[in-house]
Amino acid sequence: MRIPMAGKALAEREFIVNATPDRVWRLIGKVIFSVLPGMESMEILDENNFRSLLRVKMMGSEWVLKLKGEMVDISPPESFSVRLLLEGLGGLVKADQKVTLAMTPVEKGKTSVTCRATAEDMGFLQRAFLTRQARMFARETFEAIEKRLKELA
Amino acid sequence: MKVSVPEKWDMEYDVVVVGWGSAGTVAAVTAHDQGAKVVILEKMADGGGNSSICGGNIIVPKGKEFLEYLYALSFKTTEREILETFVEEALKNGDWIRQMGADVQVFRPLEVAYPTMIAGAGFPHVRGAENVVKYNIKGTPEEGKPSQRLWKFLSGLVSKRGIKVLTATPAQELVPNARGEIIGVIAQREGKRISIKARRGVILTCGGYENDPWMKWDYLPVKPLYFLGTPGNTGDGIRMVQKIGGDIWHMTRLACLIGFKAPEFEAAFWVAFLSEGFLFVDKYGRRFVNEAGIEIHEYYKELSHFDIEKMEYPRIPLWAIFDEQTRRRGPLSRGTAGYNRDLYSWSLDNSVEIAKGWVQQGKTVAELASKISMEPKVLEETLARYNYLSKAGKDEDFGRPREDLRALESPFYAIQLWPSLINTQGGPRRDKESRVLDPDRKPVPRLYAAGELGSIWGFLYQGACNIGEALVFGRIAGKNAAAEKPWS
Repeated sequence: MRIPMAGKALAEREFIVNATPDRVWRLIGKVIFSVLPGMESMEILDENNFRSLLRVKMMGSEWVLKLKGEMVDISPPESFSVRLLLEGLGGLVKADQKVTLAMTPVEKGKTSVTCRATAEDMGFLQRAFLTRQARMFARETFEAIEKRLKELA
Repeated sequence: MKVSVPEKWDMEYDVVVVGWGSAGTVAAVTAHDQGAKVVILEKMADGGGNSSICGGNIIVPKGKEFLEYLYALSFKTTEREILETFVEEALKNGDWIRQMGADVQVFRPLEVAYPTMIAGAGFPHVRGAENVVKYNIKGTPEEGKPSQRLWKFLSGLVSKRGIKVLTATPAQELVPNARGEIIGVIAQREGKRISIKARRGVILTCGGYENDPWMKWDYLPVKPLYFLGTPGNTGDGIRMVQKIGGDIWHMTRLACLIGFKAPEFEAAFWVAFLSEGFLFVDKYGRRFVNEAGIEIHEYYKELSHFDIEKMEYPRIPLWAIFDEQTRRRGPLSRGTAGYNRDLYSWSLDNSVEIAKGWVQQGKTVAELASKISMEPKVLEETLARYNYLSKAGKDEDFGRPREDLRALESPFYAIQLWPSLINTQGGPRRDKESRVLDPDRKPVPRLYAAGELGSIWGFLYQGACNIGEALVFGRIAGKNAAAEKPWS
């Protein structure tokens, strides 16, 4: 399945998992919450919204940011997106990212998984200081998703 | 003993609705819209009952094949024609909500918690399961949880119409006349006994009996059970119907999760895990189940094993054992649903509850076992085996899927859990017209029931069907009661 482009692309990763899309869908919800780097104290607000604290290394120090997430465009077993709103350092850090995962069946019960992160809303200062962090966060997340999905498939 | 007909009534209405939750609201609104003068009697200070603190989802099936699914789940405890009526009317639930001025959205969660609140069928292997679709009232989390949005919508229908609601007014008796027709209700209000005449009919929608200790002990298959829902559900409707000779059904049926019971709170806290790093053990420290494979409403089935040698339920209470990673993943009780939702906010990392002694902690398994009065050797063996299976990625003992297994690491934690009721399903036996029946299966004239009180869910329960049923049979009861010819 093609992911429509929107916002500024931060990272993208595509890989094949040895499982059907239904099986990947069953795994993906649990996987994504267990691999977000630095995520702590998750609170599920309702079935499609959560918030948590995110411990990140930035500018040589460790910082705790508030993360709010909303599942959007859920279309089982093909795709879903997570809208991530990050906030911290007394309002200095504010970022709005969208992570989209799409599952496409390929031959012999395998599934192609495409992960894409886009920056939806960032001011000039945010862009200057945070883009690198956001890219790194997205890449680490996608690598961890791939690793865990392949372990479980 | 039956109540005699009052010489003078304190109030007069066409239709008297007893209980102000979803079913009562829908019945009252429908009867009102048919031209009846309606009053709602509610024993609690506010309305809502379990409807305002549940998951808030409403079944709107995809197609008529849903009937086969429900019939299989009923295990013949509910007549097919009643289920047929339900399915036909449930197909219209979404349209009814829209006609009433709200909108709905499909409930499509990612399934991240254990036990899993699933979007689809609770029993996906059963024919017709693909027809399960759940909706809730459209809105954002800022506008409330789904059940809060549901109750805001429903209670708004009552206030918009100016339907009279008497809160803090528990109904106590049904008033039959010499022909056996139910012609009124006796209630308690401000310390006085009042009589309310029902010219056309009475509709009972006052919930189950999950907070009546004696009924629970008599009828339910596991003991003890705590409740997650409203303390207001004490079986009042069942007693009223028994007194006038009505029949009852589905009394042994329940929707039951697991919860933690703190002595200072009336209701239990629903507990779910946000990480795969946990296991359940019985009171002796033995694992007994695939912890990730229990249908959310059917926990009691796993807990109902009774040891006749020891004369006890060894799995009641059970203990959940988990580790640091799971502790930090999020609150064990998330406030998604339940009576305590608005009374207590569980700490995000569970640290407050550890400090309170609700959650026990041990650096070693032996230390944890000693804190929860368990034989250390047994718990150590159980945990070693669980960790071994988790690392191997294959649960040979109970078949828990690989993706739901994770070995636990020190420090360890334990929380005591009890079977905890969302609701009971028993109450007056009724037919497809929502009429209450007597033991000969004949309708008790002018008496109707809807909702959890004698619901049509007589065996396995599919999530979102209680609200769906309240909407369907609330409409039917309201319409039929309003269509009765006044007796005076």
